Amino acid sequence: MTEAFILGLSSGSACLVTCGMVMFPYLMSGSAGVKRIATDLALFLLTRLVIYFLLATLAWYSGQAIFSNPVVRNIVPGILYIVFAVMLVWYSISKNKNPDCPAKIVQTVNNRKLVPIFLGIVNSLGFCPALLIILTKGATQVTVVQSYIAFLAFFIGSSFWFLPLPLAGRIRKKEVLRTIGVLATGLSGIIFMIKGITNLIGGLING
Amino acid sequence: MDNVLINSGMKKPFGKALLYTLPMFLITFMFMSGGRPDFSNPASALAMLITFLFVNVLYFLMHYTGKTDRYRAVIFIIFALSLSFTLISNMVAMRNSMSFSQADILECKIPFCHLVIPMMILPAAFTQSIIFPGSIIGGFANIASMVVLWLIATLVLGRGFCSWGCFYGGWDDGFSRIRKKATVKKISDIWKWMPFAVLIMVSLTAALTLVPTYCDWICPFKAVTEFEQVTSVESATKAGVFISLFAGLVVVLPVMTRKRTQCSFLCPLGAVNTLSNKVTPFTVKIDKKTCTECFKCVEACPLFALSKENIIEGKVSVFCSKCGKCVDTCSKKAIHYGIKGVPAGTMMNFSRNLFLFVSFLFIAVFSSGSIINSLKSLLNLFF
Repeated sequence: MTEAFILGLSSGSACLVTCGMVMFPYLMSGSAGVKRIATDLALFLLTRLVIYFLLATLAWYSGQAIFSNPVVRNIVPGILYIVFAVMLVWYSISKNKNPDCPAKIVQTVNNRKLVPIFLGIVNSLGFCPALLIILTKGATQVTVVQSYIAFLAFFIGSSFWFLPLPLAGRIRKKEVLRTIGVLATGLSGIIFMIKGITNLIGGLING
Repeated sequence: MDNVLINSGMKKPFGKALLYTLPMFLITFMFMSGGRPDFSNPASALAMLITFLFVNVLYFLMHYTGKTDRYRAVIFIIFALSLSFTLISNMVAMRNSMSFSQADILECKIPFCHLVIPMMILPAAFTQSIIFPGSIIGGFANIASMVVLWLIATLVLGRGFCSWGCFYGGWDDGFSRIRKKATVKKISDIWKWMPFAVLIMVSLTAALTLVPTYCDWICPFKAVTEFEQVTSVESATKAGVFISLFAGLVVVLPVMTRKRTQCSFLCPLGAVNTLSNKVTPFTVKIDKKTCTECFKCVEACPLFALSKENIIEGKVSVFCSKCGKCVDTCSKKAIHYGIKGVPAGTMMNFSRNLFLFVSFLFIAVFSSGSIINSLKSLLNLFF
């Protein structure tokens, strides 16, 4: 649960760094008030939660067949952690902060009311090593309930960065929030690099 | 009158400096001796006397010479060294080792340190539990007294706590003074926001796991206090992390940059103290009328609290720890201790005297216990 939460927290900060500039204008469009932004945000988060529960179920059922070997259980997440760590560090040091944001697709949606739902779908399904890791995590759980808990922790962690959004219009120093997001992403990258290497060594020793 | 003070700096005549030292003399005497000095143990009495004279001489010199940081750094660094010495000798006496076992955690025998405080807030609010395995009241370095001390200090001094109260800050402050010139001069000041990123990460993960994650995984000062016994790949990784962070942020980078890099780029409590700088009455002010924009203070600041933009604006940033290094550096006395609401360039001497009295009293009282203990141990060793 802890790992899933930290994973979500890091994924969320990476999301803020990469997609923030694409998603924010939609979620805070025009002169929308705090109430409207909060409703859109709630819809966006709810969509993500539903998608994650679906993925949790799918991951657990498919994982029963794939991850029966205990060494594979350590080594696969270990490699994924390292890939994710490299990605996070790259995001935080890259000057082009929104190169691959999957939420860009939302530009094709004309219906304003559907935008938060579309954003929720593309944001939760957007290809990212963090999603792969949490899918692996869900797949290696003993029961489907544990898989749901892992995805829920991932959801809570990744949603944290979006919570100040309704107040974002009133925050004077938005750039500071973004800078902290960039640094938190880099920091998470280092944490996951360590975690990945520890997993790999642990897996190899146990194997 | 203040114009005269600007020209003469903050120096005071011998008698006046002595008079200013008198209240500190009496209060520190009361705190160190409890009002009744005990001469039955010569080593204890001598250690107390040396510490008492040491802190009061430093305070006197601050008034007599008009320099702040030069003498603050002496007590600050000695505080850090003596606390580590006291902690390690305590650990060795109690457990024969600097490392602690899972049994020590279960028995709540881990001495508390103020860096845990930001991680305790959320769990304490939501679960009414203290997530640190230490003694709440009573015993060595208990949680209640440390939290109360930090709270008072941070409300009064703001980030001044980081230069006048933190018993770890002296380590990188000390290393940052080893070289006369920095070999690495250009560091992006974006990094000064890193403690906030660390604060968010560790506070949330600690709230979820009910484990102080910063202490568990990151804290570099485990290298000079205590650490988890290495019994697995995970605990070996943790040891690798804290040793690397100590070597990098507390030793190598401060030596190369002449900046307190651990305090500037990592410490989550520093981030909280930065926020409390908004409420403290004390501040550092820039008098635009006398400032020549030589930017020597920017170079001197050990915590990236001053930039050229700050000087041009005439405003010190919220990251200031009131160490006094910029104040000592400025030959025009354009940068000085001040009180919020009082215009820059006025009441400079009064503000400095008041700030020095409060902050020095705090560090003198807070550090005296560990300095006396260390001295006592050293005296016992030799005699």
